[in-house]
Amino acid sequence: MINRNKKIIVILLISFLLSLIYFYSNHHKSNPKAYITNQGNNTVSVVDLIALEVIKTIKVGIAPLGITILNKKNLAFIGNVGTDDISVIDTRTDQIIKTIKLNTAPLSITSNPDESKVYVTDWFKNNVLIISVDEMKVIESIKVGKTPSGITFNEKYNYLIITNRDSNTMEVYKENKLINSLSTGKHPFGVHTKGQYAYTANVYDDSITIINLEDWTTKIIKVGAHPYNILTHQNLGFVTNTVDDSLSIIDLKIGKEIKQIYTGETPENLDVHRKLNLLVVTNWGSDSISVYSLKNLKLIKEIKTGAQSRSFGEFILQ
Amino acid sequence: MRKFILALIALVFSMSVFAHGPTPQKVQESITVNIPPAKAWSVVKNFTDFNKIMKTRSFDDEIMKIKYEMLKKDGPFSDYNAYIIVKKGANDNESVIQWTARFYRTYKLNPPIPEGQDDATAVAAVKKIVEPGLVSLKKALQSK
Repeated sequence: MINRNKKIIVILLISFLLSLIYFYSNHHKSNPKAYITNQGNNTVSVVDLIALEVIKTIKVGIAPLGITILNKKNLAFIGNVGTDDISVIDTRTDQIIKTIKLNTAPLSITSNPDESKVYVTDWFKNNVLIISVDEMKVIESIKVGKTPSGITFNEKYNYLIITNRDSNTMEVYKENKLINSLSTGKHPFGVHTKGQYAYTANVYDDSITIINLEDWTTKIIKVGAHPYNILTHQNLGFVTNTVDDSLSIIDLKIGKEIKQIYTGETPENLDVHRKLNLLVVTNWGSDSISVYSLKNLKLIKEIKTGAQSRSFGEFILQ
Repeated sequence: MRKFILALIALVFSMSVFAHGPTPQKVQESITVNIPPAKAWSVVKNFTDFNKIMKTRSFDDEIMKIKYEMLKKDGPFSDYNAYIIVKKGANDNESVIQWTARFYRTYKLNPPIPEGQDDATAVAAVKKIVEPGLVSLKKALQSK
């Protein structure tokens, strides 16, 4: 009888310990979150994508715009164009752990697939700065074409891709060397890549350009007014039309816009949470984000953020 | 006095820091009128005073929103786009007319930014369109 009681106590103790470990590990695993740069009031709003509410507001440098998330390393890099620096946020604690001085305005940010390097476009001096994530400092700089605007990294070919807003081109770099420069529509800003394709949003042409990275052929598709950025998910493309306050939905198989849906005022940037099947759009004009279901493209909720929400780049922690 | 000058220097310095970077500027002003939203919207939609400087890009009756773009470049700002929206006021007989403009300064290249082509100049110029614009709109609304 005593033995039996002992057994029960041991089992209870073990299960208690296991539940503690379970709780502890879950507690330290971050919820899916979106990080919204609010250029108008120098903050980042952290939005819990399950609760669908702002859970924290982080003070960063002046006029934050560009962003990228390092999912494996639990870091968010925020570019402050007013203070010429980068705020690095630990996404487990949502606190700034480092400020990297650049002495130039960081416009857009991306990283390589293993997250060892972060690339930043230097809008004024036509460079791409390379930051070592381990060292948390700029280790190299590549000279690029005029007004580098959007930036992204293609995993399939190991290409670093940028748009040059004022020369209407998209440049492709491999191991820091320019390997091709292609004509896009007028004023290419946001750029996105997946698999064999890259996509640019051409602000003045009300169009997007699709570039085949295998044979370098290009195709232009008309969208709404003043498109700013583009993202693809499965067979669909999503484009923010800043002046129409809408998203163009593009069927990538037939290469055509199939419909437009309303957003908040002046939608700028967008990202998806793949597991939750969510599409999030930042609305600069209404200081908010719109969250849509990717299953039916219906609006789930519009959430107020700080002033002039932008988040140019990847902004969702997967 | 010395403190004041130091504060002024700090202010000017912080403003010039802020002027770096390609940042779109926003001017947003609103007025309240004692007219039901549907009626206010019918006036706002057909308000011709704006047509001298702006072109209607589109309007939406459902959400009572009209969008304008600048016809010709007419001030120290660029890429001007604006919209006016009519919203419900505190009661059924009250409306709020909100005007939002998005634009950039004229100088978009490397700092230093030439005088008169910076963000502050652009914001001041757009305020000179938006504020009197809303006043004349209010007059037109109240005469109905």
